[in-house]
Amino acid sequence: MAENTKRKKSKAKVEGVNGRLFKPQPVLMFNLLLFTIVCLVPMILVTIVSFSSKTSIAIKGFTFFPSGWSLDAYKFVFSKWDILVKAYGVSLYEALFGTALSMFLTTLFAYTISRKEFFLKKFLTTFMVITMLFSGGSVSSFIVNSNVYGLRNNLLILILPGCVSVFNAVVIRTFIQSNVPNELVEAARIDGAGETYIFFKIVLPLLVPVIASLGFMGAVTHWNEWQTAMLYLDNQNFRTLQLVLNSIENDIEQIRKLVETGQADATMIELSENLPTDACRMAFLLLTLGPVLVIYPFFQKYFMKGLTVGAVKG
Amino acid sequence: MKKTLLTAYRQRALLCMALPAIILIIMFNYVPLYGIIVAFKNFDFSLGIGGSQWNGLENFRYLVGMGNKTWRILRNTMGYWALNTLTGMACNLILALAINECRKKYFTKVTHTIMIFPTFISFVAVTFMVEALLKTNGGLINQILAMFGKAPVSWYRESKYWPFILTIVNLWKGTGYGCILYVSALAGMDTEIFEAAEIDGASRFQQIWHISIPQLMALISIKLIMAVGSIMHSNTGLYYLVTKNQVLLHPTVQTIDAYVFDSLRGTGELSSKFGIQAAITFFQMIIGSTLVIITNAIVNKIEPANALF
Repeated sequence: MAENTKRKKSKAKVEGVNGRLFKPQPVLMFNLLLFTIVCLVPMILVTIVSFSSKTSIAIKGFTFFPSGWSLDAYKFVFSKWDILVKAYGVSLYEALFGTALSMFLTTLFAYTISRKEFFLKKFLTTFMVITMLFSGGSVSSFIVNSNVYGLRNNLLILILPGCVSVFNAVVIRTFIQSNVPNELVEAARIDGAGETYIFFKIVLPLLVPVIASLGFMGAVTHWNEWQTAMLYLDNQNFRTLQLVLNSIENDIEQIRKLVETGQADATMIELSENLPTDACRMAFLLLTLGPVLVIYPFFQKYFMKGLTVGAVKG
Repeated sequence: MKKTLLTAYRQRALLCMALPAIILIIMFNYVPLYGIIVAFKNFDFSLGIGGSQWNGLENFRYLVGMGNKTWRILRNTMGYWALNTLTGMACNLILALAINECRKKYFTKVTHTIMIFPTFISFVAVTFMVEALLKTNGGLINQILAMFGKAPVSWYRESKYWPFILTIVNLWKGTGYGCILYVSALAGMDTEIFEAAEIDGASRFQQIWHISIPQLMALISIKLIMAVGSIMHSNTGLYYLVTKNQVLLHPTVQTIDAYVFDSLRGTGELSSKFGIQAAITFFQMIIGSTLVIITNAIVNKIEPANALF
């Protein structure tokens, strides 16, 4: 019964809203659909190329309708499983551990500056605004990181520099101020709860939406990061997925050389004979994209609400 | 003093919570800020930041001495900034309004979800996607040109097309995500004011122009202030990777960040001339910060509520 009235109400509401909506709906929907297709086309093309046979790519080029299909590209990429596993390892470490650490430290920090009674609150606000206005820039950071901290070819370089984002701290602080009532914290304090207990048991559970949305963005940024890795890591064991993808042509070239000098085994020789370089690259591209595609739908609801641009005021 | 120490002791738990973040911010934000003095030094890696010799404004003089090239890179950086800010803002608004106007909520939800996805594709991957479209032999665009009997274009050798190509790539990647904020702002607007306008005979476009857009102005101005600070910055992925750092394209695509990154990697013109590179980034920072402070002051005068700080 209750549900029935609810439905009636919402229907009435929709009609009320419809009254003031844009009239030529089909035109609107057509344009939206068109842009959606434009967004999808490159990905579809990449997928098809990755399954195309070498002769098809040689004759017809990159096309939606290849003359022949083949799994050679995937066979090749998976035959280099050691590179794949290493690169996935480094990228996963960067994305998961890096984001977890970053969110943990940033949330802790944001909580302290959301407390009115905290004696450093004023000072820390200025402390943050300065970093937003002035920055050393990429060159100075590079010199400091490699010369002073010695982070070259150190995996910490992937997670430490951007670990505490001042911008995220401000967003979380604003979220705490508007979503975690101060009375809740005060009540817990009167009941004798310590600061750590209050943070972990009372405040943190309320921050799930903001942490999920910032965490997802952070993880994807880490996953897609290539500049830091390119600048600081020249050790072959520390290559991230993006670096491997960027230099996959060199790897294929190296295998060709191995085959020419007779150092390759039988399966490698067989593979290299009809190795579709372009298809391999696209197959690898899809493998780097895969994890993002898989987790994206789960996090979508968190950032679709649109995070308000946290003002630095206060 | 004693009082402060006493409060500090009483709030030691909060202090401990903030400490790791403070240390990291000092290490990776404040120390590089000190490191900017390299711009006034003849930096030598073996001597370190403090040990290197001062050379006054020599690094800046070198940049001015590059003449045309410095001017070209500056023009590209600011030109693309203006282009991307304007087209980005316009497309975000249009898409947000379109999504808001669409009646089929399920349809918009699915299409918008797909439109957001390009934001999460790495620039390395985007580079290869663009290459699949633009490759001279076998690229999709050249195939389509051939279908219409046109000669293939060597896209990676013709610099004149790239301002268009990069703008399109930028819009393709950012519009779906960029409009989220506006969509949620539009959805949260009070419907009464629209109904009143409807009764007064306002058309849909008039309602958008006179009600929706003015209400979005606060958001737009905040976005613009934030964008102003990056006038000297550009996305290295877009201007370095997607263009494959082709020398023939440099006249229209090379931006400050791409130029500096190239040199930092040790492949560019200024490789290992860290002092000069730092001079460039110092210049970037000074311009950016000054502009943010000025715009913010102006906004503070006109509409204090929209100011950033």
